Amino acid sequence: MNELDYLIIVIIVMALSTYFTRLIPFVLFSPGRESSILNYVAKSTPPMVMMILVVYMLKDMNYYSYELVFTFTAIAVTIGFQVFKRNALLSIVAGTAVYMFFVQI
Amino acid sequence: MVQSAFKISLPIMFGFVPLGIAFGLLFQDLGYPWYFASLMGIIVYAGAAQFMAIGFLSAGLGVVEIAMSTFFLNSRHMFYGLSFLESFGNWNIRKLYLIFGMTDETYALLTTIQVPDSFVKERYYLYITLFAQFYWVLGCTIGALLADILAFNTDGMEFAATALFVVLLIEQWIIVRRLLPFIVGFVSSVIALAFFINHMLLVAIMISIASIVFMRLIKGSES
Repeated sequence: MNELDYLIIVIIVMALSTYFTRLIPFVLFSPGRESSILNYVAKSTPPMVMMILVVYMLKDMNYYSYELVFTFTAIAVTIGFQVFKRNALLSIVAGTAVYMFFVQI
Repeated sequence: MVQSAFKISLPIMFGFVPLGIAFGLLFQDLGYPWYFASLMGIIVYAGAAQFMAIGFLSAGLGVVEIAMSTFFLNSRHMFYGLSFLESFGNWNIRKLYLIFGMTDETYALLTTIQVPDSFVKERYYLYITLFAQFYWVLGCTIGALLADILAFNTDGMEFAATALFVVLLIEQWIIVRRLLPFIVGFVSSVIALAFFINHMLLVAIMISIASIVFMRLIKGSES
């Protein structure tokens, strides 16, 4: 097997594997069959997942360095803009700019 | 509707383009033609898994291991679909694509936005998902193509993804206004971090869903 064949096979296998994980719930559960517990899970999942994703993004931070300070400064700026301006793009750009400033100086 | 979808998808651009560029740059180190980076963005379309693939490819790992690792790494997406069983509409190509396009970022955005009444929900979702994937493929391609030329210092730009999730967390709070799911999510994260740091995302999502199901069942049996 030459190198390009290997790459192509890997890409196809990864594509199928990834699609499979995303497809499973739609195959297992058909909409319309109202199940109150499933509805409840569907409603509660987004806030839980968002919380988990935020923690996940912060887990590799070095907690014993200035990184802690400027990461939380950048998050505070993001939250501040979002709470007062409700403009997602502005909040993200502002927070990221603050973070990049600290990282690059 | 396309214009509105574009505007609402822009936060994803700030996350996907730099991350895609980072992937493209790393992928270029493997020595394959640049367009394979774009191809991965087009048909695999999974951030974490693509970064993982770079390690696999350079190690020449077997196809079965790669399939299983990819499946495990992405299995959190199984829980994402639960929120869209109804809103993706009937089975057709569009639905198949919406399912394909469900990354962390699109999931986070689609569960948070309010679709204006005048828009057909599935079409609005489709445009947002298409824009999101376009940003990702664009990033992958730029990174792979410009590996040598890129001079702009992108250090720290990866924070855009964190900022996006922070923003959507606030928006979720404005929609949900119940403390419980946030507390469950946080506690599950801490438990998963303490015991399963390598599979933190998946474990945290499983613990949190199991917990709320459990709480719901207890509450149900009381009444």
